[in-house]
Amino acid sequence: MVQRNMADVATHMALQTMAFHFNYLPRFRKYLKSDDGWINFSLGMRTEQGNVRQCIIFRDGRARVSSDIPDDVDTEMVFSDNGTLKDMASLPPNEVLNLVLKNRLIVRGNLVFAQLFSFFITLFVKGKIINMMKKQARQCPGGSCSDSTQPATRAHKIRPQLKAPSHDPGAVYLDDPYLSSYSLADFPRLEKFLDIHFTQKPVICHERPLLLTGWFRANGFEKRPDGSPWVPELRQGYAFKHLMENRKPIIRKDDLIAGTTTAQEIGVVLYPDSHGTMIWGELFTTPFRQLFPYDISDETREILHRSVFPFWVHRNFKEWVREKYDNPLCQSLDDRFAVYFLWKTAALSHTVIDYPRLLRLGARGIIEEIRQELLRDTGEDQAKKDMLQAMILCYEGIIAYARNLAAQAAREAGIETDERRKAELERLAQVCARVPEHPSTTLEEALNAIWIHWVGVHMENTNAGFSLGRMDQWLQPFFVADLKKIRGRKKRGDYIKRAIELVGCFYMRCTDHLPLIPDIGNYLFGGSSSDQAITLGGVTPEGKDAVNDMTYIFLKVTEMLGIRDPNVNARYHGEINSETYLRRLCEVNVNTTSTPSIHNDGMVMASLREFDYPPEHLRDWAATGCVEPTLSGRHIGHTNCMMFNMVAALEMAMYNGRHPLMRWDAGPRTGRADNGSFPAFDDFFQAFCAQLDFLMDNACEYNRLLGEAHSVLRPTPFISGLIEGCVAKGRDATKGGALYNSSGTACIGLADITDSLMAIKKLVYDEKEVTLQEMREAMETNFAQNSRLHALVLNKVPLFGSGSPEAVDMANRITRFIHDRFGAHTNFRGGRYTAGFWSMSNHVAFGTLTGALPSGRLAGKPFTPGLTPEAHASKSLLDNIRDVSLLEAGNMNNNIAFNVKVVPSAKESHQEAVDHVYSYARTYCDLGGMQMQFNVVSSETLRDAMEHPENYRDLMVRISGYNAYFVTLNRDMQMELIERAEYGV
Amino acid sequence: MNDDMRNATENGKALIFEVKGNSLDDGPGIRTVVFFKGCPLSCLWCHNPESKKALPEISFDPEKCVGCDSCLAVCPEGALDRANPLFVDRTRCTLCMECARVCPGTALSPVGRYLDIAEVMAEIEKDLPFFQTSGGGVTLSGGEPTLFMGFASRLLSRIKDKGIHALLETCGFFDFSRFMVLLYPHLDTIYYDLKLFDPEEHKCFCGVSSETILKNFAELSAVCARDNREILPRIPLVPGITATRENLGSIARFLKGLNVLKVALLPYNPLWLSKLPVLGQTRRTGLSEEWMTGAEIEECRRIFSDFRVV
Repeated sequence: MVQRNMADVATHMALQTMAFHFNYLPRFRKYLKSDDGWINFSLGMRTEQGNVRQCIIFRDGRARVSSDIPDDVDTEMVFSDNGTLKDMASLPPNEVLNLVLKNRLIVRGNLVFAQLFSFFITLFVKGKIINMMKKQARQCPGGSCSDSTQPATRAHKIRPQLKAPSHDPGAVYLDDPYLSSYSLADFPRLEKFLDIHFTQKPVICHERPLLLTGWFRANGFEKRPDGSPWVPELRQGYAFKHLMENRKPIIRKDDLIAGTTTAQEIGVVLYPDSHGTMIWGELFTTPFRQLFPYDISDETREILHRSVFPFWVHRNFKEWVREKYDNPLCQSLDDRFAVYFLWKTAALSHTVIDYPRLLRLGARGIIEEIRQELLRDTGEDQAKKDMLQAMILCYEGIIAYARNLAAQAAREAGIETDERRKAELERLAQVCARVPEHPSTTLEEALNAIWIHWVGVHMENTNAGFSLGRMDQWLQPFFVADLKKIRGRKKRGDYIKRAIELVGCFYMRCTDHLPLIPDIGNYLFGGSSSDQAITLGGVTPEGKDAVNDMTYIFLKVTEMLGIRDPNVNARYHGEINSETYLRRLCEVNVNTTSTPSIHNDGMVMASLREFDYPPEHLRDWAATGCVEPTLSGRHIGHTNCMMFNMVAALEMAMYNGRHPLMRWDAGPRTGRADNGSFPAFDDFFQAFCAQLDFLMDNACEYNRLLGEAHSVLRPTPFISGLIEGCVAKGRDATKGGALYNSSGTACIGLADITDSLMAIKKLVYDEKEVTLQEMREAMETNFAQNSRLHALVLNKVPLFGSGSPEAVDMANRITRFIHDRFGAHTNFRGGRYTAGFWSMSNHVAFGTLTGALPSGRLAGKPFTPGLTPEAHASKSLLDNIRDVSLLEAGNMNNNIAFNVKVVPSAKESHQEAVDHVYSYARTYCDLGGMQMQFNVVSSETLRDAMEHPENYRDLMVRISGYNAYFVTLNRDMQMELIERAEYGV
Repeated sequence: MNDDMRNATENGKALIFEVKGNSLDDGPGIRTVVFFKGCPLSCLWCHNPESKKALPEISFDPEKCVGCDSCLAVCPEGALDRANPLFVDRTRCTLCMECARVCPGTALSPVGRYLDIAEVMAEIEKDLPFFQTSGGGVTLSGGEPTLFMGFASRLLSRIKDKGIHALLETCGFFDFSRFMVLLYPHLDTIYYDLKLFDPEEHKCFCGVSSETILKNFAELSAVCARDNREILPRIPLVPGITATRENLGSIARFLKGLNVLKVALLPYNPLWLSKLPVLGQTRRTGLSEEWMTGAEIEECRRIFSDFRVV
């Protein structure tokens, strides 16, 4: 037994003080009670050495402190040392999360109680903490502080714009497919919406969780009021209907699209059954945090604490798995953040549903089809009947919501004094009375139908990566039908302008909600919106040129607005799509600085060859979340099921299975670097593969358990109704009802791994410049003692992206291994895994949790984004482009993110800049590359934006697969962007 | 064959200091630029000082040196000395390059390598797909490519065999008849530098008189006009030397007389000064260390108001 010490006594006293307040002072005591009665839990605190061991127990309205931690404690906080314990007492809650991230504080047991405990602490020190946070925000010189309450200084840039060099055969109705005569100034409505977007502070909205929790409290979650167990699908169906019937129908001022995701102008949506409770500890402080502050009303805070969160303490994906499977190893690894992050802890989402079917049949028609299926099915399959019934409930819910919107529009029209707006509201009332209940007949109806349905999607599914799909394809028939009814050039011109405005309104609607990101997430996923991907162009299911008038209208809107969400992805098929189209993609990218991302259609489809999808289904793929392919309307590919840190396996191979930051001998004992365990390079490579295998096995296992948790806690009958297979099978999408099922991974650090293995191969084995032991020592000391070795690895090792065939072979060897081994796993829904090489923002986050590498990358520095080569790999961008295009697509069947930063020089014209970007993109596709994304901005501009964030609020950058506003990023991410290689164009 | 030529070519190889891909500044589209090492001129402001001497050299960049002293141990001549501000005693150095071989970084590195046609072509052909999508190609630059007439001719013929656009950047100091036979037939575009009109001044600042250069230009521009081939005169603007009213006025009159009405003005870039110590040369004084202002550049352009200035 380790001697207890002063820290133990101090902790005991502090907890005693806390207990006293809760026991005797009403203003504290009231927080012990929820709508379900007293909140009971116990929380232990100890240090790794064991010199501190204390526990506070809240039971039936009393708090008491014990100097021992009982075995059945709900939650335990383990501090690496006394210093961390002291920090915990004085830091704001968001920074406490950073202690967790850095593995100085390990939380065991139920994480929700740790959040609640954090909330309790804030009750004592919130005044001090908020002052501290305000002070930090003031001192922070750079962009990290985004005090959105300041007026916008958004200067509407007049961007140069080219006319289409030639006509595109797909754009039949547009004289100039580039629509160069329109600019944002022609659309004052959109200008106004943009101002709101850049100035309004998001607000946490309690509408969804309160309505749902209320329904579950009244009707039971596990069991019905009569004690019989709930069928989860039915339960969710009833609850969804209740939510949609009772949520407030809102039509945003001046909008042409009805309905909102939340009751706020810009609302943060809360999903307490996934990760919603992770904000509990921050309820007082979110308005003051530096990154992505959210406002929260006193009412919302009280509601969440009293009526919502306590209900979900055990009913969320993570804790359900922990309790059912007794805190499995695969989960403990995830809890520590350093080796992988499983997105199912927050969301499944990441799919594209069958909008054409919604537009064709309407919700009423879909219900009718489900009824037919019910009638057809005469067997005893009660599960199927329940499932189909649940779907019907959901579609009744969405119809009810649309009717409420119609009534609201009519009400507002009745009191509107502006004649023009009155007419618009009357029209909206008509539109919402028709759709999505009935089939859509016009572009306006189709866009409203999709949006209202989209609101429903996010009422059921976490707003993380759910994607819109091939909107240009699906809307073109309505555009054509509308135009055919119009005679005369002038009137047709007016209609085209209105079509642009409608799509613009739709884009701005997509910005009305944000994902809930606990502060720790700002470091992990900084700046990410909900990544609602739209996909343009490519080929039709029949294999014909899919580029059409609507493609160019979407591109025009993308260019004018320059917003991060929707995340625009463009498919380019070199043999089928026109040069005019690719040039336009490049121009929009130059003008928006970072969007769209360009996909080589043929190669993305080729990468999925092993699945033998029917060609007409494969050709209907759409990007999901960031870049990943989903077969629209019939595929649950949970394409971002995990962010997988490949570099962790390298560290573990170097340290014989031990992960240095976690201080944990987690992996298999694969051999020591200091005793000749690895006589040849391949021996070391095998050790690396063994560690990868260990991590992959565990990540897939956890993904499977979380998949089960989704099927129990939150099946999704609403979206299942629009995913082929679910109706016929009568099975929910979370249980494998879709026609196609898979899980997609994001494997992070390919360039870092390849370069590190090349350094080991060259310097340790081929040239014997150093021993493996010396390499490891250099990693441990961050190369401080060995600058010669550091110079050698930076200059004398052929790196990925330098034009070295050997490095490309190494990269292919790694991707092949990853692909084959992930591909051998089966997920909960019975589907296989795909391997992707993109990183969202986790190349920065995982980088901060990783020591120095043999590649010469220093401790804590970011990895490269996606699979982008290191900045110093080559002076020529062409080497980068060539090497990336040489990677075997079949190993990268969840797509890639290849980032290129280019800067138009002052000497070159807009035309020349576009020409150069076009040449890079075109050649890359010709050479067989899969995906490419340009940032068209200089490091100088980015540095200035750090100094003067107020001037750059709308400066958009592409991280890895998604877009973000530069000034809202955390400092590490800002520096990562600045340090990327930069090429003039 | 002069001495320079003998030094810089060897068994069908030429001394080249860089084959640079992805250049967007040396002609249309994406280009690969072959920089020859060696020049018959010696312009005071030469912004590629590493290209002047027709011999291999060694460079030392103290900013890249990690101080490991590996080089000191291997130098057979004792030419390296930390007490020497230039580090390398080039009077003792025999260019054996042992030091560069052991240098873990690129602090010590050779300037100029003898490459054969196949080696240069391999570098060029890598980028072929980019030439095709961008309308780019190969630019021969230097140094002075016409110093390597035989090699350049063979190289250009290989380049044209591949259907690649070929551009030559030249100082114009060459034997016209040999040029017409060996190089001209392979060229799509010629960038021709005109520095100082006055023969004496040219001799003073560039080492040779301008007479041959101007005469060659006159004849070549006529041939190009006849063949409808592009020749673009380029004038480096060096404050106080070439960027004077008199000089630019003379050049403008000269070009107008030849009916050449398109010209490129290359504003002065002072960064070349920092390249000198790396090559063991002392920093020169008397030349501007500043970038030109917009107004100064505008003043130069005004002299060419009748021209299309690029």
